[in-house]
Amino acid sequence: MTMSRPSSLTAFAALLRREVTVELRTKSLITSMGLFALLCIVVVGLGVRGITTNETFERFVLAVLWVCTLFAAVVGLNRGATADRRKDFFSALMILPHDPALVYTVRLLSTLAFLLMTQALMIVVAVPLLKLSFFDEPLMLLVIPLADIGVLAPGVLLGAGTSRVRGGEALLTIALLPVVVPVFLGATGATEQLQAGLGTQGALPYVLLLAICAAMFTALGLLLYGKLNEA
Amino acid sequence: MQTAKQNPWPTIALAAIGLIAVQAVLYMSYFYTPVQITPGTLWVVTADGGAPINLYESYRIFFMHLPSAYATALCCALTAIGGVLWLLTRQPKWEALVVSAGEVGLITGAMVLLTGSFWGDYAWGSGRIGSGWNWEPRLTTMLILWLAFAALLVLRRAMDTPGQRSMMTAVYGILLGPLYPLVSKAVEIGQTSHPKSFSDLLSAPEIAITKNIASIGVTLAFMAFVALRFQMNRLGQAIEQERAA
Repeated sequence: MTMSRPSSLTAFAALLRREVTVELRTKSLITSMGLFALLCIVVVGLGVRGITTNETFERFVLAVLWVCTLFAAVVGLNRGATADRRKDFFSALMILPHDPALVYTVRLLSTLAFLLMTQALMIVVAVPLLKLSFFDEPLMLLVIPLADIGVLAPGVLLGAGTSRVRGGEALLTIALLPVVVPVFLGATGATEQLQAGLGTQGALPYVLLLAICAAMFTALGLLLYGKLNEA
Repeated sequence: MQTAKQNPWPTIALAAIGLIAVQAVLYMSYFYTPVQITPGTLWVVTADGGAPINLYESYRIFFMHLPSAYATALCCALTAIGGVLWLLTRQPKWEALVVSAGEVGLITGAMVLLTGSFWGDYAWGSGRIGSGWNWEPRLTTMLILWLAFAALLVLRRAMDTPGQRSMMTAVYGILLGPLYPLVSKAVEIGQTSHPKSFSDLLSAPEIAITKNIASIGVTLAFMAFVALRFQMNRLGQAIEQERAA
């Protein structure tokens, strides 16, 4: 009996289902990222509790939220990559009759979904704790996923390499943060411009920077993920 | 791996040209370039359009700062190119190139940061020597690049097997590449005291000539360091292979 090769779409759906099922069972990513982000907000709130609300404080709070996002993403990436390495998931994925880029895409999208959930939680918590003033800007719906992809795309790639070694968690942080600085600059810049009411015109250069970073890092990840897992 | 005999002459030639150029720049920066304390060439207008500042003799640090920045840019490009070529060919020499460029980039980046923070804030910031780090965007992005060079070397050392080490070196070298354009564009992001152009300063022909010689000569000297480290790393690879055999 010959077994037919599943189509890419079927494989994609199966892998995505696997990611979601594992997360629903263990709740490890959401719990660790969410709790970490919450802790960050509480610690920062404690540090700045004496400051009364003003323009500088509002800008500071937005930057803090992006810092929390960055670190929460690193926590999530570390958890995911370490768990997969422990179960030898990477070796199993590499014998799939499909391009490893498919595995990379699934990992990127699933982590993105979990990070977006964490960010929703962060905003809910930051409104009362950090006196975050909500601003209604549809462009943020583009800024947030672009920035998240810009952070996660190199993170998923590097996590596959750093999770193999002892102390890989710290290594991923050291390796990832310098690389994603352009993304952080773009995200904080765009948010600042939108919050200041400068609209699309003011935020456009930053959104463009985010789009370039997201596209470039995703392309590099798609190209290099399989190669990194070969070694 | 081939342990082909290395030809030392290109490195020696690069180092000799670089050394002569560095001596020439040192001489020219003290005895050829002008010291002008009346309003004119050495008065530069700050980015915020404030009152012109007299640089006096402090501008001479520029002849080391600018070539160090050029060398850092070259090192950044070499890590990315070496990474791509290693992935395409899997030849150990490209891995050695990434590592050598990363090591020298760490040194040249440190020179940019030291000279920039020491002089830049005096010339275009607070007007005081040693007034500290002022979070100027170009200098800060350069610090990030410097940290990325350091991360490349730390990441490489942490890998357990030679295969993983080579792969991570190449991949991180490629990821590091796009950081220099960010450093370059940083003067357009946010509030910056770094000038967008040095045309005021370079309008004096003596300064322009010295700057050109420094740009080429000092950069060549740093590239000689890259070549030297490349040869050392190749030797290291050969020794490692001998031990493994």
